[in-house]
Amino acid sequence: MSARKQTLVWLQGLTCCGNTQSFLCAEDHLMDEFLDKVEILYHPLLNDEEDPEYIISDILKTNKKIGVFVLEGAVNLNDKLADDIKKLCILSDYVIALGNCAVHGNIPALKDTNVVGLQYRRTTKGGLLGADFKTRSGYPVINISGCPAHPEWFISTVLSIVSGKLPALDKFGRPKEFYAYSSHDGCIRNQYYEWRVEAEVLGRKEGCLFYRFGCRGPMTGASCNRKLWNGISSKQRSGQPCFGCTEFDFPRENMWRTKYNMGVPAELPPGVSLRGYIMASGILKTFTPNRLKKRLFDEAE
Amino acid sequence: MRLSKHTLTRLEGEVKLKLFWSAGKVKDAYVAVPHFRGFERILVDRPLLDATVITPRVCGICGHAHLRATVEAIEDAFKRGGYNTLLTNKAKLMRDITLMLEIIQNHIKWFYLYLMPDIVRLDPKLEDKFTPVKGSRWREGLRASNYATKALATLAGQWPHNSYIVPGGVTSDPTDSDIVSVESLVNRIIEFFKNYVVNLDIDSYLGLKGKEILDVVGGDLGDFFKVCRDRGLDSIGKSYKRFLTGGYIEPCVMNGVKTKRTCKFDIARVYEADAYSFFSANGKGYSWAKAARYNGMPFETGPIARQVISKNPRVTSLFKVLEDSVLVRVFARVDEILTLSLSILEKLKKIDLSEDSWIESGIDMDKFSGAGVGVVEAARGTLIHKLAVEGGRIKSYDIITPTVWNLGPRDDVYLGVVEKALIGLDSEPFAYIVLRSFDVCSVCTSH
Repeated sequence: MSARKQTLVWLQGLTCCGNTQSFLCAEDHLMDEFLDKVEILYHPLLNDEEDPEYIISDILKTNKKIGVFVLEGAVNLNDKLADDIKKLCILSDYVIALGNCAVHGNIPALKDTNVVGLQYRRTTKGGLLGADFKTRSGYPVINISGCPAHPEWFISTVLSIVSGKLPALDKFGRPKEFYAYSSHDGCIRNQYYEWRVEAEVLGRKEGCLFYRFGCRGPMTGASCNRKLWNGISSKQRSGQPCFGCTEFDFPRENMWRTKYNMGVPAELPPGVSLRGYIMASGILKTFTPNRLKKRLFDEAE
Repeated sequence: MRLSKHTLTRLEGEVKLKLFWSAGKVKDAYVAVPHFRGFERILVDRPLLDATVITPRVCGICGHAHLRATVEAIEDAFKRGGYNTLLTNKAKLMRDITLMLEIIQNHIKWFYLYLMPDIVRLDPKLEDKFTPVKGSRWREGLRASNYATKALATLAGQWPHNSYIVPGGVTSDPTDSDIVSVESLVNRIIEFFKNYVVNLDIDSYLGLKGKEILDVVGGDLGDFFKVCRDRGLDSIGKSYKRFLTGGYIEPCVMNGVKTKRTCKFDIARVYEADAYSFFSANGKGYSWAKAARYNGMPFETGPIARQVISKNPRVTSLFKVLEDSVLVRVFARVDEILTLSLSILEKLKKIDLSEDSWIESGIDMDKFSGAGVGVVEAARGTLIHKLAVEGGRIKSYDIITPTVWNLGPRDDVYLGVVEKALIGLDSEPFAYIVLRSFDVCSVCTSH
């Protein structure tokens, strides 16, 4: 195969490097395919230059066209890097904001109003590039949110671009393919959720974490339980609540606890009415299957 | 004096290096980390347990160590407040195993993805193996590092950035098949170590001592040794030879502080100087890192410190001959891949899955006030979290990362550990490699 490779430039702003590390955890076949089809002009961890800054300054000086520009990390508007990132976005066919910091500023933006994401700051549209920004190819910023983003969400999106199948985006600019699902979809504790069986303690296989431990699964767009992490697990599968780390209000306050108003969770999943929830709860609790009230490995009657 | 400025990448974040040259040698060196996110400020006023979600995000490659440090600081605060946290053996073992897996994935990636591309410049014959992305061993190294991340995710849900360690235990409740899966992945790491890293059977490797190690070890580590001896990396990069290890992982990591003798580590003797950081208003600042000091002096932390203090026979015997040179610093790190893997296999055998994973403390988190310290070993060395909480909310939070020990700036008396190691070098590639040998993590340093 001698098809021309898609060129890619990956830059980091204010970051923990978690999205690079997450990317490096990709399943073998995806990583091989990615390295096969993408020519990485620059990535801070994968480059081989004695003077890495030269690559970027050369691109900027010669207005070299880039296929895909990836930003990991938030941008401080007072930093010179902000101008470079803006120019690189203009030179690119596609721009990907990878991870919550690049998408909307995330943790670094919490106490510094000069810190933004590429097209958002927290929940407000705008960010570094402005609300109306479109790339050379007429595409808005593709937001792959998550703290970190799942490697497959990113790699599949780039490979889609390579093959000319552009991803459909939701209202936050995220590929629907991955964010139309909630992180509750595919959760192995789903039955406990349905029948209102709460996890009373941590560290057990049984019970739903939505009722006491603050699980954001039903309110969070993410396919963590469809595309498993590290090919093997997820937060909920290992007994942690979903903290909603793909959403624009992450990190919220009091993340280990479900807030209640008058005995009902203060926030219900999208589209669930308070009245419907209360009525259904009464019935579900009355008819909960015995199996769900026991430890999973105890024999059911 | 000539000044040269450099940016070092292929690490977590980036590091700025300023070298002052005189008569062809480094006369003075400044190491600075440019970016600042402000984690300690962000944590203030938050409910205490939120720290277990936020602090892992300090660092993408050692976030799990940050999580554990946070939880140990909280448990320490509980203990000082009169509530002893009960941990089952199962929870303790799982915490150790996942922490060690994070260290292992780091060390494999560091050697193959970060260090060896620098070494290639000294010996272009190694290009086919170690050039980033294209090199055959680069790809194998990445594959092997993911045996560790997959094993970690099997117990902790995902890596990077999980919060499965909580005050009172861990959240996951693995099954026998999960344990079998972790064991099989750790065995793959050991096999990789045998076939690629040292090209030597494990028993023979474990029995090696002193300079014999350099003669017998083959594989990719053997390639590194050869370049070291040809180009003198076995004699450069030496610093203070004062080592510090605050964390403890039974039985392969002992804590202690080693100068000429080894003494007990005492957290009360740790101090952060900020005279040369941007946190100080005196205008002398050049880095977002503070300078960590023990008894007022700089100490080196990390695998070489851990393994010398823990009396690892291979590292200790080589240290006796070649001291804290680049070669020994790298060797200590690579040796930990095997030493920790073998220890994980032992710990897996000891897990009793019928025990509880988590024991509820019964403490009213909304009312709790107190203060605590968590000290753990991360990939790069000793990591310290200190927190104070009032009425359930965080009042102050202080993080001293391993790279702050090694990479932090000078004070009025002492150069930083890395700065000291750079003095006297006669070429830029050597300066890169010496700095690299400390396994620099810029994001942790400035957080």
